[in-house]
Amino acid sequence: MAKFVLMLPHAPDRYTNLGEDEFMDLMKDYIGWVEEMSAKGKFEGGEKLLDEGGKIVTNKSGSIEVHDGPFAEVAEILGGYMVINAEDYDEAVEIARSHPHMKHNETIIIRQTDASADD
Amino acid sequence: MSPSSDIHKLLDETIRRERGWLISSLVSRLGPGKVDLAEDVAQDAIVKALATWPYKGVPDNPRAWLRRVAGNTAIDRIRRSARELGIDDDWDLASEESDIITPSLSDPELDLMVLCCDPALAPQDQLFLALKTVCGFTAAETAALFFLKEDALSQRLARAKRQLRNQSGELARFPTRFALKDRLPQLLKMIYLMFSWGYLPRRGDVLFREDVCREAIRLSESLLAQTDGQTAGHHALHALLLFQTARFPARAGPDGSLLTLEQQDRTKWDQEMIFDGFAQLQAAQSSPSLTRYHLEAGIASVHAQARTWQGTDWPAIVQLYSLLNQQAPSLAVSVNLAVSLIYAGEISSAQTQLDKAETLAAAQDLPGYHLARAKLARAQGNGSKAQAALKRAAACRISAPIDEHIARQAALIDIEA
Repeated sequence: MAKFVLMLPHAPDRYTNLGEDEFMDLMKDYIGWVEEMSAKGKFEGGEKLLDEGGKIVTNKSGSIEVHDGPFAEVAEILGGYMVINAEDYDEAVEIARSHPHMKHNETIIIRQTDASADD
Repeated sequence: MSPSSDIHKLLDETIRRERGWLISSLVSRLGPGKVDLAEDVAQDAIVKALATWPYKGVPDNPRAWLRRVAGNTAIDRIRRSARELGIDDDWDLASEESDIITPSLSDPELDLMVLCCDPALAPQDQLFLALKTVCGFTAAETAALFFLKEDALSQRLARAKRQLRNQSGELARFPTRFALKDRLPQLLKMIYLMFSWGYLPRRGDVLFREDVCREAIRLSESLLAQTDGQTAGHHALHALLLFQTARFPARAGPDGSLLTLEQQDRTKWDQEMIFDGFAQLQAAQSSPSLTRYHLEAGIASVHAQARTWQGTDWPAIVQLYSLLNQQAPSLAVSVNLAVSLIYAGEISSAQTQLDKAETLAAAQDLPGYHLARAKLARAQGNGSKAQAALKRAAACRISAPIDEHIARQAALIDIEA
């Protein structure tokens, strides 16, 4: 079984103007999915990222520059990521298809972790 | 049920229940003037839960999680506003000072409910406030219960809270036991209404909300224990809640659809609850006056006693509804009286009763009224009239299971015709 990271981006204003009930219903879908995947042994964990802030540190010709977020020009911000267990990319894609993020947002980015360094 | 809809139900119930508990216990600590702050803090904790649980999963003990987060948020907020006001920021939720406010009952939810029953507020506003704060309904849910726009409801709530806040001196505290006594009848009414909405929600996908009903029973029980059941009608109300809840295991089909009294498998009724109901009804006889709860509990007890639908003592039910119709006349009572007359075989009296009900403004919007019309038409052998009444019933939409129930009846008549 390999591990895959699901990155969940959303539009910067996706959750700002939602009514309370609407937000609750949306999140209940996510929580329901996570509980279901956990029960099947497919869900490993995840982290929600804070919406505000963020920094980019760059090294341009020897001097390190720090830029503060938010980065207004981006079309989507990364809301968080989840780690799942799957046999291969095919299964990971299948799992991503059932993800409520596909219903409520547009994109999921899947990357397999490199397990070769694990014991 | 799929695990995902199970988790929806768990979340709905936990969040509603905890919102009420959090607000109540925060108000009991911070004082009646801080209902707004308590609501905000509870809301923050809930939003935080909903935003992070998708990544972490639901914690083993969601309630403890919410209580911890809300507690921390409350302390943060109070420290922050203390700093802004330039007073010392050692304020602690657990400090002695907070005990200046001594709730009059030992149950924070009941305390908040008593607070909401403030005679300075319009009775309906008392109710809105209690549902929104004690029962943990959202503004949208509360608005739907009363067929109000959410904005209109929010304005009334804000005004009610302002009124509570503006009271000074004695009134700014929780009412004393003496003042409490005056508010008990209104408190019983709130418990009754809270139960009614759990019993037959007017919106949504579920036939009934057992968690809301059980909480109404818990509040009633707690109040009974603390007031020795001295309030007129309290034992009767409690009996009513128990009789109605005893039927829950038989009230829904496997797909969540409504099963009427006629269709229910009576062996599934909770006999222990029915037994407790009769004990409460016995205790209700010592009440100083006969209340509507006595009559309603009486009706429920007649059903509880009947071992079969055919064995129902309809004349007794007709008599009780007639008394109820004199004591607490309402459209719903009048319609139920007509239905019991049909089952008792008194068709022309039923017709008179429904003709009288028809003059009431709200009749056309009450599906029960049209269903009773349909029943009457069928009893008179008039299938097309029954069908027309069912169509009108279907037009008043309520919760999904009730809408389906009406549709099924209409289909049945089509087959028979």
